[in-house]
Amino acid sequence: MRYVIGYTDTPTGRDALALGIRLARSYGGSLHLVIVLGSESKPTLTPTDPGYERFLQDTAAGWLAEAEASLPDDIEHDSHIVYADSFSEGLLGASRDLLASMIVIGAARGGLLGRFALGTVASDLLHSAKVPVALAPEGARRVGTAPLSRITCAIGTRAGADALLDGALLFARRGDSPLRLLSLVAIDQPGGSADRAAVERAKEHATSVVEQARTCLPDDLVPEAVIATGDRIEDAVQSIDWDPAEIVFVGSSRLARPQHLFLGSTAAKILRELPVPMVVVPRDSVLTLGE
Amino acid sequence: MTTQKPGAEASAEASSTASSGGISKKGLSAGSVGLIGAIVIGISCIAPAYTLTAALGPTVSEVGVQVPAIIIVGFIPMLLVAFGYRELNRAMPDSGTSFTWATRAFGPWIGWMAGWGLIAATILVLSNLAGIAVDFFYLMLSQIFSNPSIADLTLNPIINVVTCLAFMAGATIISYRDMQTTQKLQYVLVGFQLFVLLLFGVAAIVHMSSGNAFDLTPVSWEWFNPFEVASFGAFAAGLSLSIFIFWGWDVTLTMSEETKGSRSTPGRAATLTVVIIVILYLFVSVTSIGFAGVGTGEYGLGNEEIQGNVFFALAGPILGPFAVLVSIAVLSSSAASLQSTFVSPARTLLAMGHYGALPARFAQVSPRFFTPGFATIVSAIAASAFYAVMRFISEDVLWDTITALGMMICFYYGITAFASVWYFRKQLFKSAHNVFFQLLFPLIGGLILTVLFFTTVIDSMNPEYGSGSNIAGVGLVFILGMTVLGLGVIIMIVQAVRNPGFFRGESLRRGASDGTEEEVDAATAA
Repeated sequence: MRYVIGYTDTPTGRDALALGIRLARSYGGSLHLVIVLGSESKPTLTPTDPGYERFLQDTAAGWLAEAEASLPDDIEHDSHIVYADSFSEGLLGASRDLLASMIVIGAARGGLLGRFALGTVASDLLHSAKVPVALAPEGARRVGTAPLSRITCAIGTRAGADALLDGALLFARRGDSPLRLLSLVAIDQPGGSADRAAVERAKEHATSVVEQARTCLPDDLVPEAVIATGDRIEDAVQSIDWDPAEIVFVGSSRLARPQHLFLGSTAAKILRELPVPMVVVPRDSVLTLGE
Repeated sequence: MTTQKPGAEASAEASSTASSGGISKKGLSAGSVGLIGAIVIGISCIAPAYTLTAALGPTVSEVGVQVPAIIIVGFIPMLLVAFGYRELNRAMPDSGTSFTWATRAFGPWIGWMAGWGLIAATILVLSNLAGIAVDFFYLMLSQIFSNPSIADLTLNPIINVVTCLAFMAGATIISYRDMQTTQKLQYVLVGFQLFVLLLFGVAAIVHMSSGNAFDLTPVSWEWFNPFEVASFGAFAAGLSLSIFIFWGWDVTLTMSEETKGSRSTPGRAATLTVVIIVILYLFVSVTSIGFAGVGTGEYGLGNEEIQGNVFFALAGPILGPFAVLVSIAVLSSSAASLQSTFVSPARTLLAMGHYGALPARFAQVSPRFFTPGFATIVSAIAASAFYAVMRFISEDVLWDTITALGMMICFYYGITAFASVWYFRKQLFKSAHNVFFQLLFPLIGGLILTVLFFTTVIDSMNPEYGSGSNIAGVGLVFILGMTVLGLGVIIMIVQAVRNPGFFRGESLRRGASDGTEEEVDAATAA
């Protein structure tokens, strides 16, 4: 298991690093810290300056060295500086070259036009990544680096999240941690939650999906199942208990409405409310532990 | 524990340069800057539309109709110094440029002042750029809404300064966040700029031939004869202005190593850029003088009211309903130039911080945007404050800043030129190339700039110099130049007392080239 950490010498970067440590501690594997610098092959108005580029490279190398020095001794690690036109492109390239099983980034919020704001980077990543992307919520660096205690797998309202479920199961086995199935139901209707019938129908549907998911799981593993409802996704997320040490698996395509970027709406909403890290598994990805 | 194909390490290693020291696989590389790209970058750094509108008036006021001659002659010292610049850049690529090179050649004190000169020049030009942009911003609005009174808003010092600060803030954010214009947009902007300037010239010719010119002045070969200029003082002043109009061109030379294609591409790009620029400057200046004359009438280029920004006044009479195109061209040209110019003081400040010539904070790199964050903000604040103060004490802020700018460019370019000669002193006669490019060209260029610098300094003491702004009977340009340089000396001494390492040569040693590259590293490693 190799994790590519999209690192920057910022709180966001340290969030990603902290999550990386927890993942490695829970499921084993090595961390590969990657700083993405702007590629000079991208022509810009400002003439490139080899002197400055070198200075930048030295500075970045210093940041990486500092970050590596801060890692606990039990974590295998190395670091890389890559050059690419964008942060996400650099990470994707690095994840291919390093045969990474997961990309970890921090999801800072409130970045005005920022490259590392969740929207652009994460959705770029999710639309081309072949590997899952783990998003560390703001403040993950302060939560500590203890192993993750539980995996919650958010399954959609339609059946068929097999790849996602398999992946979550794999991780649960590997980390010897309990698995929880979660179905989020947003009753986004004019009547809102007042419409009893709609709520019941949605709940029924969700329950059947969860039941179906259970049948895909081996007998020795009986996951807890939670169905959360609310007027909006945010409300549904807020309505259930979150263990600070758990991690949520979601499929990138399951929760998305047609023609909607997943992270443009639903995942962003989830993440906004979610106090815990989230792993977004691309539709076509196959999660493995690489053994 | 991972499924790892053999060779994965190798490919990962290839994408990693964290461990290696040099500028290995960093993409300078694959050099995507082709011939056209290099020319486009060169032209957008020179920003001809902005440069002409800012410099044409002051130049006319110095040398009258001999502007074309001065443009041609002014290119010579620029070219000569640029050769030395290129040699130094090749031997010691460093973001501190003039600062680093002069320190290596002449030691910390002169090096510090060279860096200060560069920073002062770029900060002066930033405030001038923003000032021009403000004028054209309101002119454009007035053209769009067909309401001439909007254009006069720029005369209100409060509105003017506030708008200017807003532009400066915008440019700072763009620089700080490194939000670069894409190459496609650059092509469009540069193409548009050239088109509008040509259109401007052709329209002026049409007016001239149809007898509608404001002050028809028949074109004469004497305009191209530099010996027709009235006095040496005027000649020198004109020259230092024309150095400003070519400032930025050296970029095409230093880009050389990055340009793609054959070995001849960089040279061709630099040559083509300058040919395009010279022809354009000559065409526009000749047609402008032909149309408006050099008199002091309403649109005459000798009119002090319009000299700081001539297109602002001439766009309407020459292009009529299409005058808005000039506003857009100058605005986009200023915007592009703001972007490329902002980088320069920030990088020099960063290098000075890095080597201990300034507090270490200046060497901070933004961890999110990878730009010299602190240095960028300091430059922006300095340029904004400078503009705001000047707006209130100068009669013609644009004019005076341009003249003072010429002085600063002569100062630091002169030092840079001599740095080339002195730094390469042990190898000057090792090849014919060295004799010309490391000794003769920079030496002659440096001498010309030195003469220009001192002539400008002495002449500018006269209260009538430039726009005629003065304080207690001493020319404002002189006061400005001396204040800026004096301030540099004071800051240098303060820094030398507080943090003497750099001034003892601990971070950047004096030295002479032994023909190898990247000697800055060797010096800092010691």
